[in-house]
Amino acid sequence: MLLNVIDILSQYWELFLIGQYPHGPLGGLVNTLILASLALIIAFPLSVLLAVARTSPYGIFRHPVTVWVYVMRGIPLIMIIFWTYFLVPSLIGRNISGFTTMLCTLVLYQSAYLCEIVRGGLQSLPAGQTEASRALGLGYFRTMVFILLPQALYNSIPSLISQFISIIKETSLGYIINAQEMTFAANQVNNQLLVKPFEVYFILAVTYYLLCFGLTQLAQWFERRIDTKRQGDALIAT
Amino acid sequence: MIIFSKVNKWYGEYQALVDVNAEVKKGEVVVVCGPSGSGKSTLIRTVNRLEDIQGGQILYNGHDVYGVDSNLNTLRSRVGFVFQNFNLFPHMSVLDNITLAPTKLKGLNASYVKTKALELLDMVGMSHKANAYPNQLSGGQQQRVAIARALAMEPPAMLFDEPTSALDPEMVGEVLSVMKSLAKEGMTMMCVTHEMNFAREVADKVWFMDAGRILEVAEPETFFQNPTHPRAQSFISDIRA
Repeated sequence: MLLNVIDILSQYWELFLIGQYPHGPLGGLVNTLILASLALIIAFPLSVLLAVARTSPYGIFRHPVTVWVYVMRGIPLIMIIFWTYFLVPSLIGRNISGFTTMLCTLVLYQSAYLCEIVRGGLQSLPAGQTEASRALGLGYFRTMVFILLPQALYNSIPSLISQFISIIKETSLGYIINAQEMTFAANQVNNQLLVKPFEVYFILAVTYYLLCFGLTQLAQWFERRIDTKRQGDALIAT
Repeated sequence: MIIFSKVNKWYGEYQALVDVNAEVKKGEVVVVCGPSGSGKSTLIRTVNRLEDIQGGQILYNGHDVYGVDSNLNTLRSRVGFVFQNFNLFPHMSVLDNITLAPTKLKGLNASYVKTKALELLDMVGMSHKANAYPNQLSGGQQQRVAIARALAMEPPAMLFDEPTSALDPEMVGEVLSVMKSLAKEGMTMMCVTHEMNFAREVADKVWFMDAGRILEVAEPETFFQNPTHPRAQSFISDIRA
């Protein structure tokens, strides 16, 4: 079995890694990473704006975002994939690629989750931080930008990394709408071999695992760092 | 400088301030004392609208604090406020904590602001920690930095809300001595504190509060020797005991 795995890897590693590129579209692990990274890069700033709106004292900003977050968190991701896949082309009048569909869906879906992480970060800051900043005469937005967000985002780094791990795993759902990524590539390999599905999907699982494990370690490292910093605060406070 | 007239404040059903009438004159040091829950902190926090009031008027340096025309941020930038828990910004160095407001609000030249900040740090005896971060400092050191931060906007008056209550006993002295030197320079100060020695030595007036009312306004000598209000008498005898 292990020999089979090595055999498959040596024969199809290129397909796993980059899909059919350069003879076809880019896919495989590389595209999984590009898709997940793009989703995070677009969803993250969006989620910061959403979080600011969700903690806003003005209902006109707060309520729509709250509804948005509850809707996104209450629907399975695959429903949103289907909606984007069928709805967006009928709205804009032309087809969009599986990759774009998946990217849009992940941005919509993850912005809601990331928003809640950032909101948690903002609300866990002591009220004294806002008070001190406002007492100096800094307004709401300056307080947000210079005082609250830098602290909230730093404290949220471990959760943000965990969410990035989720994004990586969620890209595999792109398979159902033919988005070129690693699961899609694994399926192509399986279709060619036909008789070794266990080995092929074993390789796929191990690759996802290693990727996510690495990121988990990174999250833990940040968590320890933040803990040590807080410990420093506590030592002085006693 | 600060005039309270008929100030009333409620937290829901509970009335926290009842018909407060009082005045802090320019250059005066006023110590507000009284038992816990008497409304001291609430009163001092109404001056820069960290707490809203439901009735009455507060004039700060001639401006109606709750008037429709007052720009809240401009007003606050002219009130120096020192908190019980220091509330330094932990993600910024000591120097950045002090220069933040002058750079962002007054748009002053960075090197000028820095020179001024270092002077202030020198005044509070903290210039050797300019590049340290708040969590590397003791409580007393943090509070001295917080005082420098409040002074950086050159406010005409300084408000202190129990500035030494969160400190270890051996750190209280360093903060009080900074406050004393400020008072000597003629700064107008309103200070909520339990440090009765500070009140005795530095204050021009002592306001005694209980249950949201100012019961007695007196010079420290008179207040500590011959308080007139029975509630103030029992307070004085309790702290002596």
